[in-house]
Amino acid sequence: MFWHIYKYRLKCLTRSRQMMFWTLLFPIILGTLFYMAFSNLSSVEAFSHIKIAVVDNEEFQKDTNFREALQSASDPDNGDGSLFDVTYTSKEEGESLLMGGNIEGIIYFNNGIKLILKESGLNQTIIKEFIDHYKQTLSTVSAIINRNPEAMQKGLIESSTSHKDFLKEASAGSSAPDTTVNYFYTLIAMACLYGSFFGLNEVTVNQANLSAQAARANMSPVHKLRVFIYSMTAAATIQLVNIGILLLYLTVILHINFGTQITYILLTCIAGTVTGVTFGAFIGSIVKGGEGIKIGILIAGSMTMSFLSGMMYDKMKYIVNTKVPVLGYLNPANLITDCFYSLYYYDTYTVFFTDILFLILLTAFFSLLTYLQIRRQKYASL
Amino acid sequence: MVISVKNLTKRYGDLVALDHFNLEVGEGEILGLLGPNGSGKTTAINCILSLLKYEKGSIDIYGKPMAPEAYDLKRKIGIIMQNVAVFEELTVYENIDYFCGLYISDKNKRRSLVIEAMDFVGLNDYGKFYPKKLSGGLLRRLNIACGIAHKPDLIILDEPTVAVDPQSRNNILEGIQRLNREGATVIYTSHYMEEVEQICTRIAIMDKGKIIATGNKEELKAMINSGEKITVEIYNPENRILTDVKNLPHIVSAFFHDSFLTVKSERDKNNLMVLIDYLKTRQIAFGKIYSEPPTLNDVFLEITGKELRD
Repeated sequence: MFWHIYKYRLKCLTRSRQMMFWTLLFPIILGTLFYMAFSNLSSVEAFSHIKIAVVDNEEFQKDTNFREALQSASDPDNGDGSLFDVTYTSKEEGESLLMGGNIEGIIYFNNGIKLILKESGLNQTIIKEFIDHYKQTLSTVSAIINRNPEAMQKGLIESSTSHKDFLKEASAGSSAPDTTVNYFYTLIAMACLYGSFFGLNEVTVNQANLSAQAARANMSPVHKLRVFIYSMTAAATIQLVNIGILLLYLTVILHINFGTQITYILLTCIAGTVTGVTFGAFIGSIVKGGEGIKIGILIAGSMTMSFLSGMMYDKMKYIVNTKVPVLGYLNPANLITDCFYSLYYYDTYTVFFTDILFLILLTAFFSLLTYLQIRRQKYASL
Repeated sequence: MVISVKNLTKRYGDLVALDHFNLEVGEGEILGLLGPNGSGKTTAINCILSLLKYEKGSIDIYGKPMAPEAYDLKRKIGIIMQNVAVFEELTVYENIDYFCGLYISDKNKRRSLVIEAMDFVGLNDYGKFYPKKLSGGLLRRLNIACGIAHKPDLIILDEPTVAVDPQSRNNILEGIQRLNREGATVIYTSHYMEEVEQICTRIAIMDKGKIIATGNKEELKAMINSGEKITVEIYNPENRILTDVKNLPHIVSAFFHDSFLTVKSERDKNNLMVLIDYLKTRQIAFGKIYSEPPTLNDVFLEITGKELRD
C-alpha cells in the first residue's frame, strides 16, 4: 500500500507545473539573478591597476631608488598586489595620453619628483600617496644617514622602511569570509520553506472537507492518517530532490562555495525540507478559507522569514539576532541559514546542532498541530 | 437488509438538514433518492458513509454499525460523488488504478479490474488522456469508473449525471442497470425524475430532510388523486370553456396557461374522448392535443404543494 500511494503522489506532485515552478524553477531563477547581481558587484569592487605614465628622462634614470620602488609597485608577478600599469614615455606623449583619458597621471622628474593629474579621484589619490610615501621614506633615510651614519650598520634603515601590521584579519573557520554567500544560504532556506506548497497540497487531498478526491479516499478501507503519512513522505522526497538540484546548480554551474562538509549540508537540507513540508501541512490544516488564501499565507510567510534571515538585507539577520534573538530560533529560514553559516565559518558544531535541534522541534510542533486538526474522520460539513 | 437508517437527524446550525430520516435498502435494489435541490439527499448519503457527523440516529450497513473505521464495510462500498473526484495530474488509467489500489493490493488483479472498469464506462480509448482533455460526459464516466473498479457490492451514486450530455447520460444509466444485474445494490440520488423512473426499482421521495413517500413508481403514482393530464391548444381561450370543462365528469382541475388548456382527471379515469367531444360539439377551434399519465412531479406536487424542480 505504501508504494502504491507513494508512487502516485510522486506522479501527481511532479506533474503539477505550478508547484514545480515555485519549488524548483523559482529558486533556480532567483539564484541566477543573485549570481548575476553579485558577480557585477564583485567586478565593480575589484581593484584594477592604475595606468600612469613616467617620463623617462635623465633624472629619472639616475634615481635608482624610485625606479626600484616603482618597479615593485608595478610588478606583474605581484598579481593583485600590483598597483600601477606604467608606460615610459616623453612628457609630451604623456600629456597627450592624459588628455585622452588613457592614463590617470604623469610622474616626471624636474629637480625632484613631480606629478601631473587631470582630475581628482581615488586613483589620483593613490598615485599621490605613493609619491608622498616615497618622499617621506627617502627623507627619513637621508636624515638618519646625515645625523647618525652608524645607524646604517645597526639596521635602522631597514627598520624605518619596513611596515608591520599589528592587526591581523583572521577567520573563525577554514573558509575565507564572503558576505554574498549568505544570500545563497537564505535562498536555500526559502526553497526549503517552499516545500510547504507540497505539504499544503497533501492536506487538501487528504481532508474530505477540502476536496472531493479526499472524500473518495476517506471512503476506502485505508486509515486516512496512513494515506496522509505516505503522501507527506512523497512530498518530502520531491522537495528534497528539488533542493538537491538547486544545490547542484549553485555549486556546479554557478560555482558558489558552500564549504566541504557535504554530510552536514545534506542533513541541513533534509531537516529544512521536512520543516518546510510540515509547515505547509500545518497552515493547510489550521487556516480556514480557500486554497488561494493558504497559498498567499505560505508565500508571504516564507518571504518574511527569508527577509528576517537576511535575504534582502544582509544586516537583518544580525539585527534580529541581537534585538530579538528568540525570533531567530522560531524562524525556520533563519535556522537553516544559520546551519549553513556555521558550517562554512566555524570549526565547531555547537551552533549547527543547536539549529538542527530547533528545526526538529519546529517540525514536531507543526506535525502535532496538523495531526490534531486532521485526525478527525467525520466532519461537521463537507 | 443492506442499509438501515433510523431517525437520523443532522443540523447545520439552526437548519435541520435531516429530520428523523429513515431509510431501508434491500439487497439487489436500485433505490432512487429523489428530491429537489437542498432536500437533504447528499447530506443523507454523506452521513450514511460516515463522512458527516450527525446529532441523532443509527446507520447499519450489512447489519453492522457504519463508522469511519468500519473498514470491512468500506471495502464493500463504491462511491460516486456529485463533484468529480479525480486527480488532474493522473491519466484516466492512473486515476482508476490509484483509487482501485486503495482496495485491491494485487497488481495483476488490479490491472484487469481497471481495464474492465474502463471498458464498462466506454473509456478504453482514453486510457492515456488527462482529465482536462475529457469532455464533461467522459469526465463523469471516469468518475464512475473510479468508484466501481474494485467491484463493490453497494454502489452509491450522488447525482452522477449533472451537466452530462444525453449520450453519456444514457451510457451512465445503462451502466448502473448493468451493475445491478451483476449483483450490486445501488442507491441513486437525483433531482431528475425521468432518470429515477427509468432505472430505479424503488423510489424514496425526499423533502426538507424527510422521506415523504416510498415505493415503486406505480405505487407512488397510486398515492395521489389525479390521473391523466390532458393539454389542448385552444385558439380562442375563453372563461366559459374553463367553466364547462370543470363541469365534465371526473375532472379534478382545469386551467389555462397562455392558449393551452390543462385538464387533470381523477385517478384511473380517462377523459380524452369526452373532452374532444365537448370541443367538437361546441365547435371550439383547437390545435395540438396530448395526454400524459401522472409523473413523479405530480406526486411530489400533490404531497408538498410545490414542483419537484422548484
